[in-house]
This record gives sequence, structure tokens and C-alpha cells, in this order.
Amino acid sequence: MSETNTRRKFIDTTCRIIGFAALGGVGAVLTTRASAHAVFQVDPLKCTSCDLCRTSCVLSLSAVKAVNEFSKCGYCMLCPAYMDVTSAPNEKGVPSGKVCPQDALKRRVVGKEDLDDPNNNYYEYSVDEPKCTGCGKCIKACKPPFGNGSLRLEIRYDRCVTCNECSILIACPEEAIVRVPAPGLSPLLTQGETANG
Amino acid sequence: MEMQARRYTPVATLAGRGTAAEFKKSLSGVAVGAAGVIHALGDGEVRVFAANGGVTRAWKAPEQAACLTVAPDGRVLVGVPGRVEIYGAAGNRVGGFSVGESGKQADVTAVKMFRDTILVADASARLVRRYDANGVERGLIGNQHKTGSFMLPNRSLDIDVDSAGVVYATDTGRHQVTSWKLDGAPVAAFGRFGQAKPEDFVGCCNPVNLAVAPDGCLVTGEKAAARVKVFGPDRALLAVIGPEHFDSMCTHIHLAVDSSGRIVAADPVRRTMTIFGRS
Repeated sequence: MSETNTRRKFIDTTCRIIGFAALGGVGAVLTTRASAHAVFQVDPLKCTSCDLCRTSCVLSLSAVKAVNEFSKCGYCMLCPAYMDVTSAPNEKGVPSGKVCPQDALKRRVVGKEDLDDPNNNYYEYSVDEPKCTGCGKCIKACKPPFGNGSLRLEIRYDRCVTCNECSILIACPEEAIVRVPAPGLSPLLTQGETANG
Repeated sequence: MEMQARRYTPVATLAGRGTAAEFKKSLSGVAVGAAGVIHALGDGEVRVFAANGGVTRAWKAPEQAACLTVAPDGRVLVGVPGRVEIYGAAGNRVGGFSVGESGKQADVTAVKMFRDTILVADASARLVRRYDANGVERGLIGNQHKTGSFMLPNRSLDIDVDSAGVVYATDTGRHQVTSWKLDGAPVAAFGRFGQAKPEDFVGCCNPVNLAVAPDGCLVTGEKAAARVKVFGPDRALLAVIGPEHFDSMCTHIHLAVDSSGRIVAADPVRRTMTIFGRS
């Protein structure tokens, strides 16, 4: 073997090693950046509102909260997520019991309230997050065909402590905890789903 | 006139799975024409069914078509977002008109015809719009409510009209069926929310569909649980066709009644139509 060939082989090998090292380094940096900008979120299309979000989070009060998508909400007077429709009716014929054990689902009349006939009112429903435990009872009650499916569970980043291995993800039997790019929009919103009543 | 309680049983199924008439993707409306001929809307087509369940003719309808009706002269009116399209009995397009105010597309969820008057349910405006034969809007129905419109949390409004020209509409948020004169004057309302009695309407918003029978009975369709009820002319409950006949995920049961009182119920989840007769 000539001296020229040996030198060329040495240069070639060295360049390959440097090239692979550089590629690996860039890959590692990109992976680190990507994971730093990906967060856990609930995929509502997989979620069954099983209550494990409430019990599996490392926080004593889960980082998972109910969220109402106003564009899908029917603003019902008899909201099946708000009222326990199986409970005894009050003097106006409206069920007296509530679905949320924490009374975390609140409502207010949209526009001028008709005090004589509540059937003439539309109501806006919102979640009192400090009270919400993420149990999912309201979500289950709002699912079609009972309701419009406007309520869903969502991880709130003002509470989430971004564990390396999310304990809810480990517990979830439906694999409904997914990685999404920061700032962590619900997959439902990024998939472009719109209200259909 | 007080009527006796009734019992309905399935006598035929149309567009069943595996049949040539099967709807593969959607079933969004049903209507009964002259001589009891059943028309259905689905898979982007209007299909006309023979008594044996076969399809005698079919033609393309707009993909987003949501409802249909058959006029006494055999023309077929199809409701699509912002429009009503009119076809001859053979399926040739013979006309059409826009629905709703300019700049706001109407969500047309039902269309019916009484003589030369075309009634269109506009769920986005939560009103019924009345048109003449030329497609010119002549008035509104439902705006005399205290709230100025129907309460429709489920964003769907179904209507029908009887032989006297009385218009019936689902007022789902109020758990009522309301009736109106063609000029928009209210006639009556019946129904209420409840769980305990079978005549009551449950959930957030029911009944979701309705049809008027030739004998003055009113047929209603409900969701969660999916069922059909028949009310007499005095609005006493005569029959319940139970949830065992429908998919539990139905949010609509499209209804039509033929001249002999048979109920045609279209289940959009199973994509089949069941004819119920009295037994």
C-alpha cells in the first residue's frame, strides 16, 4: 500500500468520525430542545373521564381541570353537566341536585334574566379551577348524546410541575395523556375540530 | 277526541347493512311522498325507495344537504346550509333559493311545504322562515316568543305542518313542541322536562325531531335515551317506541308518517330506516 493511499484513508476516516460526531451533537441538541418545548396534555378524543386524573397526579389537588369550550356549549338551562337530572325537581320543575361534588361548575345568565321562567334563559358555564379536582364527572355528563361535548379535561400549566414521567400518563388506561408542543394547546384545538352541536 | 293507547312494532327495515340500498357514510333525512313513497337523504344523494326496499331512483344532492321534504306535486326540496334546492320528481334540478340574511349563512335543519308556502327551519337564527313559491321570504315564525326565538341548545330545529296549515316546531331547550299559524301567531305548546313520567322529555334538549300524522297525532323523536313517542290530538301519550330500536348514540331520529299512519324512523348512526306499524 502506498503512502498516499494511507494518508487518504486516514483523512477519510477522520472526516467520517467528525461528521458523525457533529450530527450526533446536533441531534442531541435538537432532541433536548424539542423535549424542553413539549408538554403533557389530555387528548379529549381518547379520554373517558375515568377519575384517574384526580387520583394519580402527584399534586394533592390535581393539575388536571375541566374546561368548557364555549363555541361548542349549548348554554342549556338544563345542563346535564351542571344539574343531576335524576335528582328531585324543585318548585320550578328544575332538578335540585348538582353533578359536581365540589360545586366547581358555575353558571351565570347571559343577558337579562327571566326570573319567572328559567326556560327563557341561556346560561354560560365556567369552571372554578381552585375547586375542580379533575374528576371528570361533568365531562362524562356533557358527552354526546347527552350534551354537546363542550367540556373536556385539560392539564393546567400554572399547577403542573412537569414531572419527567407524568404519573397520570402512567396510570391512564386509554393513553390519553400525550405530548404536545408548548404552550400545550389541547389536541382537539390543534386538530381544528369545531362545534357541530 | 280521546284515543286509546297504541302499540307499534317494526314491520320493515330499509337501507339495512349489506343491502344494495345501504347508506355507507350518512343518513340525514327522510320524507314520505305521494302514495307513501319513501325518500331519504344520505351519502350525498336523494334516494327513492320502492315498497320492496329497493331504490327506484337516486340523484346527487349537495354534500352538506341536511334535510328534505316531498311536495304534493312530487317535487323534492332539499335543505343545505344557506339554501333550499328544488328537484323535479325525476331528480332534475328545477330551482332553489337562498335562506337567511345576507352575510349570515342559515343552518337549514328542516324544510316543509304547505300548498305554495315553503317553511324552512333556520337553526342558526333559531326561527322558522316562511317563503312563497318563488323563494321570497314572507315572514317569520317563532319570533313572538318572549325570547324572540326558539331555545335550541343542540342547534337543531325540526318542523312539520299539518293539513290545516298549523306549523309544529321543536323547542328543545324548553322541552316543548310549539305550534303556530302560518302568519307567526302562536297556537299552543305542550311538553315539559321530567324524568318520572314517560310523556315528559328528559335531558338538556328534547324532543329533537317531530312529524305530524294524518290523524292529528304528533310523533316525537328524542335523544339520550333515543326513543319515539306518539301523542294523540289532545297530546295525551299513546305509545312509546323504545330505545331498543335505535342506536344509543343517536342525537336525532328523523321522522316521517305515511298516509296510513305508519311511522318511518331514520337512525343516522345505524344508517337504517325502520317502518313501525300499529299492532
